[in-house]
Amino acid sequence: MRWQKGGVAICLGLIWLGWGQLSQAADEPQAREIVDRVARLYISQSSIATVEMQITKENWHRKILMQFWSLGESNILVRVRSPQEDAGAAILKVGNQTWCYLPKANRTVRMPASMMLTPWMGSDFTLNDLVKQSRLTDDYDIAISSEGQRDGVAVSEYTLTPKPEAAVVWDKIILQVRQADRMPVWQRYYDEDGKLVRELTFSEYKTASGRLIPTRLVMQSMDKDGKTVVEQTIITYENIVFDGPISEETFSRRNLKP
Amino acid sequence: MSGQLLRLAWRNLWRNPRRTLIAMAAIGLGYAMLLFVACLMAGLRHQMIETGTGLLLSDVEVQTQGYYPERPIDQTLGGPNGTDVSALVAVIAADPRVQAASPRVYGYGLVSATHQSVGVQLLGVVPDQEQRVTALQTQMVKGSYLTGRMPKGVVMGDKLAVTIGVEVGSEIVLLTTAADGSMGNDRYTVVGMFHTGLDAMDQGLVLMSLATVQDLLRLPPAGIHEVGIKLHDDGITAATATAAALEAQLSKTLPVQVHAWPELAPDLAGYVQFNRRITFILFFIFFLLAVMGIVNTMLMAIIERTHEFGMLMAVGMRPVQVVGLIVAEAASLAGASLVLGAALGAPLLWYLQVHGLNLGGDRGAVSLAGVVVGPLWYGRQDFTADAQAALGLAVVALVSALYPALRAARFRPTEALRKV
Repeated sequence: MRWQKGGVAICLGLIWLGWGQLSQAADEPQAREIVDRVARLYISQSSIATVEMQITKENWHRKILMQFWSLGESNILVRVRSPQEDAGAAILKVGNQTWCYLPKANRTVRMPASMMLTPWMGSDFTLNDLVKQSRLTDDYDIAISSEGQRDGVAVSEYTLTPKPEAAVVWDKIILQVRQADRMPVWQRYYDEDGKLVRELTFSEYKTASGRLIPTRLVMQSMDKDGKTVVEQTIITYENIVFDGPISEETFSRRNLKP
Repeated sequence: MSGQLLRLAWRNLWRNPRRTLIAMAAIGLGYAMLLFVACLMAGLRHQMIETGTGLLLSDVEVQTQGYYPERPIDQTLGGPNGTDVSALVAVIAADPRVQAASPRVYGYGLVSATHQSVGVQLLGVVPDQEQRVTALQTQMVKGSYLTGRMPKGVVMGDKLAVTIGVEVGSEIVLLTTAADGSMGNDRYTVVGMFHTGLDAMDQGLVLMSLATVQDLLRLPPAGIHEVGIKLHDDGITAATATAAALEAQLSKTLPVQVHAWPELAPDLAGYVQFNRRITFILFFIFFLLAVMGIVNTMLMAIIERTHEFGMLMAVGMRPVQVVGLIVAEAASLAGASLVLGAALGAPLLWYLQVHGLNLGGDRGAVSLAGVVVGPLWYGRQDFTADAQAALGLAVVALVSALYPALRAARFRPTEALRKV
């Protein structure tokens, strides 16, 4: 278990909730607006989704099917549907508090802050990534770094560099966006040595509740050489509904246990 | 001739018992003092190694290659399918340097009771075997150590119990990511609490039976992470050498890495080295004190006898014989003094080793380099240091007699006779 590696991922939650409020646009306003648009792809008043997560590690491979409910920014419920051994496990976040229902122990436990930063079910995502909004764009300056044709598609690349006072993990993030529909293509994360550490690839753009979104996200973690893929998590949205009616009752602790 | 010389020397010593006894006291007391210092410092080193490795680490750890220090749960000895645990433990225990060996499984998880959850390290052991390697069972403050009767019983640190609000008999829930990536979770019962004085253990360790942790982590019964080993000789050199030998031997059949405690607890090893250096400095200071007493006494004893040596030479004794006589006297004096010193030191060493020095009553325990020491400070006889001290003092006694002897032998008899 990579206990200490937790908390570094950009993730599901980030994609789920968006990149958060984009604050004062001191840098190139247009670039910031494009990144902002990408960040808000999944932001909505409410959402219900079925998500498949495929995790490939050195020694094992797992496919997990989960159902997500969200209302506003602070109410989130995640329930595991399969595989059999984890079915029924659920995480509920209401405000600042997070609970987890454990089916085998048949108990609901409150999660401490530290557990939120550890990898969720062995994936490249932490629980924090699943339930908490990222402040990524608060911490980075954004600039357009290139424009042109890639594989016959007109794309733009944006480089995110940390603001001087920001305490962040990544030294550089590059985001590639299709010019035609402003859909993200990939996002690459570099460490302070300029080495590629992980790459998030977007694909299978589909329309859900009237919005175009990428429904397949592949997160690959690179080895120390910055080339070989050592771990991979694939997230597929099988079904997603934005801004549908959800009752607050969904996010009660009583509802945590299936 | 030499027998005669020795007899003469011995008789000379007791011709002036007061002078001889003063010299003997200087050497003997110096020796007793050095014995005391060596015993105390060796005792502190031993106690630190013992408590530093004896509660959790053990002296030597056998793991699969690449396991330490990250301790990923899917890297078990012999690969994902594990290895024949009892055979491996038997092979290790067969080494004459090994006192006992115990299989272990490590995990990380979240321990929860009613409202609180805390991240902890999980350690799975076979209670009977582990108690021969580590001594956590001696630190129990409530309830009991693990027994075979309660497979779902757990033992935890007292501070952890306070944090999550549990007592002996309370139910706890453990949540972890298992070796196959699934969510390991189950309910357990607290059967005992320990207090070691080390926060890392008292706040962050949950001890369970080996099979129970394997079940939680979805490891096969043959899947263990480590074999902990207790050695007969746990000194830095011995432990490191034994670890290297075991690694060479076990690597023939299993890809293993073997770490000795100086690698596992570099702070502790650093302290032990520091302690050795301090011992050397202290030893040197005490040695100098003893030397000054000896040199002074010997010099005076010989110089005041210049007249006597002149007389001996006047009646026909050759200068070399005079020197021989003085050296023989000094040697017998040193020998007798060391025996006296050892006799004086023996009860002191016995007391230090059996009863220890009480440094601060019940609350005198201190944490030093991550190890709890005291309140009782036990000594431990350091035979090497003792022998070095004896040799050093004897040499000093001889040299400090030799210088005035050579001087006396160079005088012409008439000149020597004129000196009083």
